[in-house]
Amino acid sequence: MRSFSYLSAPDVETALRVIADGEGVKFLGGGTNLVDLMREGIERPATVVDITRLPLTGIEELPGGGVRVGALVRNSRLAADLLIRTRYPVLAQAVLHGASAQLRNMATVGGNLLQRTRCLYFYDGAAACNKRAPGSGCDAIGGFSRGGAILGASEHCVAAHPSDMAVALAMLDAVVEVESVRGVRRIPIADFHRLPGDTPHIETALAADELITAVELPPVPVAANSRYRKVRDRASYAFALVSVAAALNVEDGVVTEARLALGGVGTKPWRATEAERALLGAPATEDAFRRAAEAELAAAVAGPQNAFKIELARRTIVATLRRLLTEGSAA
Amino acid sequence: MSGMDTRVAGGVGASALRPDGTLKVTGEFAYSSDLWLDDMVWGVTLRSPHPSARIRSIDVTPALAMPGVLCALTHEDVPGLKFHGLDHPDTPVLAIDRVRYQGEPVALVAADHPERARRAAAAIVVDYEVTEAVTDPWRAAFDPSCPKVQEGGNVLRHQPVRVGSVFEAPVVVTGEYEVGMQDQAPLGPESGLAVPAEDGGVDLFVATQWLHVDRDQIAPCLGLPPEKVRMTLAGVGGAFGAREDLSMQIHACMLALRTGRPVKIVYGREESFFGHVHRHPARMRYEHGATEDGRLVYVKAEILLDGGAYRSSSPAVVGNAASLGAGPYEVPNVAIDAYGVYTNNPPCGAMRGFGAVQACFAYESQMDKLAEACGISPVEVRVRNAVSQGSRLITGQVIDSPAPLAEMLRELEAFPLPEEPAAGGRDLRALPGGVAQTTHGEGVRRGVGYGVGIKNICFSEGFDDFSTARVRVELAGGEPHVLVHTAAAEVGQGLVTVQAQIARTELGIDRVTVAPADTRVGSAGSSSASRQSYVTGGAVKAACEAVRARLDKLAEENPGLTLPELLERSGPVEETREYRHRPTYPMDPVTGQGDSHTQLALCVHRAVVDVDVELGLVKVVELAAVQDVGRVLNPLALEGQIHGGTAQGLGLALMEEIQVVDGRVRNPSFTDYLIPTILDMPPMRVSILENADPAAPYGLRGAGEPPTLSSTPAIAAAVRAATGRPLPRVPIRPQDIALPA
Repeated sequence: MRSFSYLSAPDVETALRVIADGEGVKFLGGGTNLVDLMREGIERPATVVDITRLPLTGIEELPGGGVRVGALVRNSRLAADLLIRTRYPVLAQAVLHGASAQLRNMATVGGNLLQRTRCLYFYDGAAACNKRAPGSGCDAIGGFSRGGAILGASEHCVAAHPSDMAVALAMLDAVVEVESVRGVRRIPIADFHRLPGDTPHIETALAADELITAVELPPVPVAANSRYRKVRDRASYAFALVSVAAALNVEDGVVTEARLALGGVGTKPWRATEAERALLGAPATEDAFRRAAEAELAAAVAGPQNAFKIELARRTIVATLRRLLTEGSAA
Repeated sequence: MSGMDTRVAGGVGASALRPDGTLKVTGEFAYSSDLWLDDMVWGVTLRSPHPSARIRSIDVTPALAMPGVLCALTHEDVPGLKFHGLDHPDTPVLAIDRVRYQGEPVALVAADHPERARRAAAAIVVDYEVTEAVTDPWRAAFDPSCPKVQEGGNVLRHQPVRVGSVFEAPVVVTGEYEVGMQDQAPLGPESGLAVPAEDGGVDLFVATQWLHVDRDQIAPCLGLPPEKVRMTLAGVGGAFGAREDLSMQIHACMLALRTGRPVKIVYGREESFFGHVHRHPARMRYEHGATEDGRLVYVKAEILLDGGAYRSSSPAVVGNAASLGAGPYEVPNVAIDAYGVYTNNPPCGAMRGFGAVQACFAYESQMDKLAEACGISPVEVRVRNAVSQGSRLITGQVIDSPAPLAEMLRELEAFPLPEEPAAGGRDLRALPGGVAQTTHGEGVRRGVGYGVGIKNICFSEGFDDFSTARVRVELAGGEPHVLVHTAAAEVGQGLVTVQAQIARTELGIDRVTVAPADTRVGSAGSSSASRQSYVTGGAVKAACEAVRARLDKLAEENPGLTLPELLERSGPVEETREYRHRPTYPMDPVTGQGDSHTQLALCVHRAVVDVDVELGLVKVVELAAVQDVGRVLNPLALEGQIHGGTAQGLGLALMEEIQVVDGRVRNPSFTDYLIPTILDMPPMRVSILENADPAAPYGLRGAGEPPTLSSTPAIAAAVRAATGRPLPRVPIRPQDIALPA
């Protein structure tokens, strides 16, 4: 690890000032991703500002039925929170399906939103990677691409977004609250993560001097009947091959509301709007679920090693919706 | 004082407590990576980024100019022999004019801080001319136009086995099988501390599997006589074969001798994947011929093992694949060809099961096909062909100790099957996909499969395989006390505990200390091939018997005196003994015939799996095993070995594989190379048999490896039974089950 200076911020103002004034400043939350990346030499901050003492650890109910989650709420606490578990079961489940218990005890909500890809070529300093070294190319394309994205990729990058939590947030239309010395901004989750395009190194809409202070969950009544399903290579502590966050409302056998987001398959947490459109007003049947999945996956592009993900995603979407229909959100 | 004294607690047969157990569980055990001296400096290795390249030049001056750097060394600085190797010195200490695999060591740096050393190593300028990498083992072996990775050609050993001449049968089954590259994945990375000594020699503290074979490779490269390289075993964080070849040993010594300072080298997790050999990936083609009632007429096989860039222990791995290539079955006609080949892939060598694992997956898959073709059960086909005491292996060697395979299979089959729970209300942890909500029972099919494995115990094919023990009885605080001293490496398997148990039983004295393993006593041989309880156990037993004979004589000469009084009079009584198992012989290079093994061990597994056939996820519900160990020395440690070996076999069946693409390792981390967790490993039902081997100490039979063999094919068979898919390759991935191409 390169040497760096370390500073513990006593309050938000200090943290914002340091990052506004300095070059190469990074905020340190749980450290579960940043420290790894620093060890590998992928992140090389000059200054690390420890923000874990900032008072951003609350989970508050908002007037109107939403919930505001502080950026420094640890993943394990978020998943255990009663408000979250009852109003947004999909979020609690998604968080619990990520990483390991030890990592969840450290990882923060804000940090999770900034989690970087686990693309094998991103981590290999000897490989070309436009995300790590802009303009160097992408060895993942045509390489060992089993973990690669099938949705949202560009000719410059096929790296899949690794987060589980962010998939649930995408489904919930969460809003990311960020702050800098210039003021406060509220960024809809759909705009927060960016498609790689020809700038895969720019992953989010967060400006260099901004701090994530909270995530706001709007009232989403249908989310009371939501769930998260994750398919992975071992029973715990593995990234998703495919994951699905879904919420469903059915009246008289017809889908009146549906929300769907995918993980493991997209270059960003993937809101499945095509599938949602197909579901709305459709009969709540296996056939309709399959057609919805196919509508979303029509745009999927895969290589020889990750082609299986298309069918796996289709089956996982159908099975998640089927389960919602029969069992609701019960874990 | 004659005969074994069974009155002493903690002797042979007891679950004596491990001295290292509490320390390891509480995080206080000192591993080799914890070694520390105040004036030490840090060594770092620069490695090749290319699988195959010529080196035009190496310029270390940019490294030397950096702050805190003490020295930067290349092959020109190797004081003596420039090559080392377990079997044959073919591996450059540091690359000379070419590199043959990604990660091959090229240069070394010592600096006052590990990060400074790393940056200095990165500043070294190596001018590479990249050359064509040979990455297809089939092409390496059989295409004459393929470039040669090593001068002598790409086939490092071809071992045929030829028996009989009948290769026609009423029932014929064929198959092509593949085994991926598995890693030993020890949790402790390669590490050690080299301390320069005043006599010009060096003291090396290191985690290894065999101190003396390390020393005998290190000393010539340093240009030192062996006695000037003194080695002490440091805390070992797992081995499984990964520590048989040298890693940082010579490098640390070179840096220490050059700088005059103690030098510590600790690999990180990623570097560890490049710092040790792996299990050979294999491609295998099998044909079994049998009578209509399932009795084997012949076995034909071609086994191709990718040895990577250097020799390591590949020749012996090929020997095992050939001699054990038809499994523990009576086969009158055999034509097996096992090949080990050089490629520019990562070097492969020893890993638990050592050449027997790959073939076992293939021949057991074949036995299941044969059962189906003959319309009999998997157990029945195995029973009908099972070896027993007196049977001949395909090498002509007669199994001269109990080998009750048929009985073991019958016992395994009779174990009650775990109940298939009714749908709904199931514990998610017991379902495929676990708590990830992938299924609540729908789309889940159950399968049951059997696997049988046979493994040679101890070194084979004429190797002079021995161990040495020094045992001393003396008074300490007025009480008799035993000191056992060997060079045998405790790698987590529990050998230190077993040595003390043997001393207690043989001498009837409960106070026993096992001295740290070092080179001040003779070689103990390797902590591998499931051999240490047998060979070092045998040496400790022999030394204890010699000490006991002297004490008996003293007692005879001094009637009426107690042991403390005798020791008071005689002073310490010390004896050193070497112990050898029965000799073995080379395999005939043309027919493969010969008594190449000294002991053979059997393990049988039954796997019960639930498979989510829609998503391809597997939950292993239960693993049951029957193993004959001859004699149980420590029940708890033995069960741990069986559980651990089984888990490693589960890993190979379902998830563990180093992904090598064009000669480059793509997943050198525990985030991307998956090993089973506690949620993947099911409860086990284990039955242990004790049919003694009269040739072995206490009748024991080595136990660490056999379970690793048989659990993999049992799990694969169970998944096939649940899905109806052929699944000719391990590890089996979700897409192989649910979404075949």
